[in-house]
Amino acid sequence: MREYTERIREAAKRLLSEQRVDTVIGFRRGTVPFMNEPFLVKSVDQVDQLYWDSNCGINLANYLPKRTDRVAVVAKGCDSRNIVVHLLENQINRDQLYILGAPCRGMVDKRRMMADLKGKEPLHAEENGKEIKVSGRGFQVTFDRQTYLQSNCAICTHRNPVVYDELLGDPVEEQQGVDRYPDVRRIEAMSVDERWRYFQELIAPCIRCYACRNACPLCYCPTCFVDESRPQWVGKTIDPTDTLTFHFLRAYHMAGRCTDCGSCERACPVGIEVRKFTKKLEKEVKELYGYEAGVIPDQRPPLDTFKPGDPEPFIK
Amino acid sequence: MSDIYISRGKFPEITGQLMARYRVYAPVLKGEYHEFAEIEKTEEADLGYQNTRLSPKGLFHPHAERMFEYSLVKDDPQAGILKEAPKDFSPRVVLGIRPCDAKAFQLDDVNFDTTAYQDPWWVRRRQTTTLIGLACNEPCGTCFCTSLGTGPFDTAGLDVLLVDTGEGYTAQVLTQKGKDVVGITSGWESVSRAVSEKMEGLRKSAEDSLGRQFDFDPIKQKDMLELFNASFWDEVQFACINCGTCTFLCPTCWCFDIQDEVWGDKGDRIRLWDSCMFPLFTFHGSGHNPRNQKLQRVRQRFMHKLKYYPDKYHNGAACVGCGRCVKFCPVNIDIREVVRRMSATCVCPA
Amino acid sequence: MSEWEPKIVAFLCNWCSYGAADLAGVSRLQYPANIRIIRVPCSGRVNPKFILAAFRSGADGVWVSGCHPGDCHYIEGNLYARRKFALLNSQLEYTGIVEPGRLHFSWISSAEATKFAEVARGVIDAVKAAGPARHFIKKQAEVA
Repeated sequence: MREYTERIREAAKRLLSEQRVDTVIGFRRGTVPFMNEPFLVKSVDQVDQLYWDSNCGINLANYLPKRTDRVAVVAKGCDSRNIVVHLLENQINRDQLYILGAPCRGMVDKRRMMADLKGKEPLHAEENGKEIKVSGRGFQVTFDRQTYLQSNCAICTHRNPVVYDELLGDPVEEQQGVDRYPDVRRIEAMSVDERWRYFQELIAPCIRCYACRNACPLCYCPTCFVDESRPQWVGKTIDPTDTLTFHFLRAYHMAGRCTDCGSCERACPVGIEVRKFTKKLEKEVKELYGYEAGVIPDQRPPLDTFKPGDPEPFIK
Repeated sequence: MSDIYISRGKFPEITGQLMARYRVYAPVLKGEYHEFAEIEKTEEADLGYQNTRLSPKGLFHPHAERMFEYSLVKDDPQAGILKEAPKDFSPRVVLGIRPCDAKAFQLDDVNFDTTAYQDPWWVRRRQTTTLIGLACNEPCGTCFCTSLGTGPFDTAGLDVLLVDTGEGYTAQVLTQKGKDVVGITSGWESVSRAVSEKMEGLRKSAEDSLGRQFDFDPIKQKDMLELFNASFWDEVQFACINCGTCTFLCPTCWCFDIQDEVWGDKGDRIRLWDSCMFPLFTFHGSGHNPRNQKLQRVRQRFMHKLKYYPDKYHNGAACVGCGRCVKFCPVNIDIREVVRRMSATCVCPA
Repeated sequence: MSEWEPKIVAFLCNWCSYGAADLAGVSRLQYPANIRIIRVPCSGRVNPKFILAAFRSGADGVWVSGCHPGDCHYIEGNLYARRKFALLNSQLEYTGIVEPGRLHFSWISSAEATKFAEVARGVIDAVKAAGPARHFIKKQAEVA
């Protein structure tokens, strides 16, 4: 994954000097282990700050809606699907974009690594092919990259960008025979009360910071429903009913649009598994309407269209 | 009162003695991280923690709190009266708070406790709460308290400071409040010379490990408008996603919103945390929003903490270097980097 | 049992289902008086926020009814609505917010007065069986 760093820098330098784009959106190396900072390059002398490794989990498509300049952006498989959704929803024009496609073998989950460090603080992390060497005060641990992939990356079936202007590396083989919904089925098998309790416990730590919403590339509404006041649909406090309403309705707004990029879970400061809300809708959309978000560039999103024979077993 | 000492094994007795008289709040492990919570059993307190994820400001300024309530129910004798919501202001002890967080409350006091206005809830909670701090022997890699005028063994804002010397804890009583609380406990010994030296060694090594990560003084000297109009804000603000993580986790961020919630014939007025990062933070009733651009909001937060507050109150920065924002910002915007840019003598064009 | 009578909010589309309710009334067809009707121009107008708001306010049940697919007064409103409701229904049940029997959907044309009364009776019985609304109600905020 780290070889991309050189290729991204080279591509950025080339595109900026040829004036093919005005800016390049990528990452630069973070100041703390396991983090990188999204970075906007405006001139060739900033290009050497660009960086790429297995901690580039934040979805850079988040910075695209309503941009007016010509921009190059580094996009993994999931990011590229979000760009397709943005194009379908008229948030940006295709001719403004130069997509640097990054076939991806998955990003690592810093939360799981931190949990397994059991309170020891990592001060340095060095990635080396299949391993991640983490060291701190008086300890050194090696993590196997594959074991500590983000949960959405472990079940990813679209590791290669679906739309791009240039690929940063050879396409990687897509995972076959992946079961994307074991946790959905587990929850479906619970009783109503168990499900209620499960989701109540899931969102109990929520502090309504909206990091999940803001990290999501598809949450770009000028006025989010939580900020609507006449009428007010959901209160702003950490009352459990309001918090559940927020998460439920946000996930519902993602129906048929969410690409499971995992940015929401990555951004959450209190570690809520936000994707438990969106996975069910993803499964339903696939089973009912045969649709997968952002894969086919000219296919209308499922809630934007209809078929005369749509299933309606629940309607009397 | 001179320092006192108790062995590790006997410390839970002290906790128990405190619990018999006060509501005791201590760091409790909840899932992957610690939080300050009221303890029911001495074992729940985990003083081996580094720091809590959410700052303890929630103990004085809760995330959401009812200020007033009313009812219009026909037979209610108090119908139609706007009442202050009843609260529990009985004495509390916060055990194991870090020096940075205690200093932060002093910085927050200038907002909530002024000669003209006293916030009733904040002030009463501060009056009835005793802070027993725990010095940091091993500061985190993201801490930078020493660069902002406080430190891992700083006593500012604390009533008692505990130091974990390995075999036990020393306690330095700093205020009358601290004396009153420690006074109801028993089992302490005097501090031996060896322990005293150990404490000094721990303090030095903790402060050395932090070092000086940036120079804050130039910011005090610089012209405010020069900093405001500097070109580096454009680069700083790009990654920001305008969530509330930094503001909600920060012990010196105090902004709040007031919401009225009405259901049927009853209603509440609730105060809740708000964030200057949210786009609607400065949204006026007229429809005008003076900070509707992300750059304006990001710049405002850092200028407030690092320039406006020091200039106005001559109290140092509104930041204690606890490092929570650095650790948990989803896009790794690092306030230490921002300080370095603000301090830099040459503000170069992009 | 007790005197509890369910309160059911019914979103009826103006052209078909509301007409059916009207015709049922004119024809003196009997059904229990537990439904509170909100007239909307089209079932496609029904936003998931409305259904959530109804449950949050304490409704024991919600019923949405519109024209038959193909007969929508606005041509395609109910066709979009069908997809919205399918996903909403499954997600509400999945998260445990709405127990089975509380949320109902139907297509009833303005001539189908008897169907209206029949479906109304079915909805009311199902909500009665589910009992009073229990957990997804917002009254006083649970805050400090």
